[in-house]
Amino acid sequence: MKIEKKISDGKMTVVVAGNVDTTTAPEFSAALDLEGVNEATIDLSGVSYMSSVGLRCLLVAKKTMTAQGGEIKLKGVQKPVKDVLDMTGFSSFFEFI
Amino acid sequence: MTFALDKYLKFLPASAAVVAVEFLSGVASCVICGQIIGEDGLSALNLMQPVANAVTFLALLAGIGTSVLFATEMGRFDKRRASEYATQGFWTVLILGSLSMLVLALVRHFAAGAFGVTGAVLVGLKEYWLWFLPCALLEPLSVYLSSLCHADGDPKTCISAYIVQFAATCAFSVWLTLRMGFAGCALGTIIGHVLAVAVLCMHFVRKENNIEYAWHFSVCDSWRICRCAIGDASSRIFEGALILALNLYVVARFGEGMLPVLSVVVVVLSAVEFFDGVPRAMQPLVSVYVGEGNDRLVFRVLRYAEILAFAEGAALALLLILFPQFAVSMVGITDPGLVGEAMTAVRIVAAGLVGLAFMALFNSYWTYIAKESLALALTACTMFVAPVVLFVAFGEVFGVVGVWAALAIAPFAAIGAFAFFICAKWGRKELPHFLDWRRAARIRVFDLVLSPKAICGVSEKIRKFLAIRRGFGRDKADLTALLVEETLMLVKDHNKGRKTRAEISLDFSRSDELRLIVRDDGEIFNLTDTDAEVSSLRAYLVSNLMVFLPAKRNMTITGFNRNIFQI
Repeated sequence: MKIEKKISDGKMTVVVAGNVDTTTAPEFSAALDLEGVNEATIDLSGVSYMSSVGLRCLLVAKKTMTAQGGEIKLKGVQKPVKDVLDMTGFSSFFEFI
Repeated sequence: MTFALDKYLKFLPASAAVVAVEFLSGVASCVICGQIIGEDGLSALNLMQPVANAVTFLALLAGIGTSVLFATEMGRFDKRRASEYATQGFWTVLILGSLSMLVLALVRHFAAGAFGVTGAVLVGLKEYWLWFLPCALLEPLSVYLSSLCHADGDPKTCISAYIVQFAATCAFSVWLTLRMGFAGCALGTIIGHVLAVAVLCMHFVRKENNIEYAWHFSVCDSWRICRCAIGDASSRIFEGALILALNLYVVARFGEGMLPVLSVVVVVLSAVEFFDGVPRAMQPLVSVYVGEGNDRLVFRVLRYAEILAFAEGAALALLLILFPQFAVSMVGITDPGLVGEAMTAVRIVAAGLVGLAFMALFNSYWTYIAKESLALALTACTMFVAPVVLFVAFGEVFGVVGVWAALAIAPFAAIGAFAFFICAKWGRKELPHFLDWRRAARIRVFDLVLSPKAICGVSEKIRKFLAIRRGFGRDKADLTALLVEETLMLVKDHNKGRKTRAEISLDFSRSDELRLIVRDDGEIFNLTDTDAEVSSLRAYLVSNLMVFLPAKRNMTITGFNRNIFQI
């Protein structure tokens, strides 16, 4: 899995490529450190596979952002990942762009 | 180590121990009667041996047949039919046991008289026979229960039952024979059977028990049960017939002086009973895989059994060739001239043990894959026809050494003849496994010990395999990979701190669908239960996946979890 992260003026963009599974999720989780961030965009256009540990990272990020009064957006979500989000009912928690 | 090998090796010690205890229980009464009552006791018990063999044959017929059909139906996920076979097996035991008890009771005086013995031996024989009658019902019942427990993946209960039976038979037989004579010896055997049945019934209160009974009676099912096991069960009958034929020929041709040497040869030939341990250990696995139509795994288990059968046969043969005096001392030959002849005989006959080990293996294997006629023919040919024809021919040409050589050559000759017959009738491809290789080629198996790295590795391999090698759409490949990762991680979560093995089968043999079979040896847990308690995000996702997948089933069999999904 490859992760690129940029932060400027409280806006964070994380570009992820590869699979987010049990073994790669800790790296993904570490990338979603949202301290001092008030707007986060997670680009998942390079992710075709995400298991429950990936979902958990997204949910924790969402919770942190809500507590900080910010918002989180998911960009370029592929169908397999969207299906998992839909299946679990978590789609409604995120804004998709 | 694969999942199948791990399970096979877990069944093996219990099967080997059960076979050994079965054999020792059989000879215990003879030894006890001989030691306490004397030569009259030994003679009477020896005369009872054919009757005991006939009862064992009926017991194996009902026991093996029920367990094979039960496990095969469980393999097909048809629990109702499996329960019907379990029930019908019970009725079969009752019918065969009651009938044989009745027949033995009716013919007791006539048959005992027909043996041509008089005096104390005749009185003892009749007395033992009378007290032996309940065993005609109890032995089939205990064999039926132990076979079912074994097929249901509970070797511990089986081995406990046989140890209790052996210990109780020995202890009570000694105690009661000292007080009651022949009647006491038979009573000790009865107590042993009753205690074994009591221990085996403990399986029904275990959490892992899958044996259920149904309101069902069908004469056709009884016939199927008996027909299924006829090849495997008849080995005792043919073994008895061979020993009888050998006795008659050797005494007639070489005189009674050769009988002590023959008794050593009989001890070596009885090793075939020990060789049943290897195939018996594979029965639960093979029957389940046969039921699933998973020919790749049937072949895998059979390959393990073939290696073990060869190793077992070769090791025993080598041991007897190097140390024949071990077998000679068992029958107590002291005459120096006879000791030399007996050692030569043991060395020669031992050379055929590998062939006997393979005969025992394929006889059982063909029984498990519903080739019962072939199994019966192989047993008859290896255990009776080939040795009798060869020992008469060789005996006439080469003398008594020719008889022993014939016994060593006979198993290989019979197996060779069968290989030729199978090639001629079904083609070389079928030899000797009778598996659908085209179907086996459409099944892919992955084995792993559950760890996050191994699970993700297998999940990724499956995803790539489906997408690249099988041309599946990305949606289907990703869904399958997700299902594998989430279900196995959930199983791992349920078995924290415990080494858990899993086996994944991808079955493409049905053109329009993918069957995913997930097996694990962790705690009994139904992955497909949509009402299962959700205690983590993973459990929540698995629960949602189960709602999403319309075709899924769970069935615990032979002591491990099995879940099947159609994708």
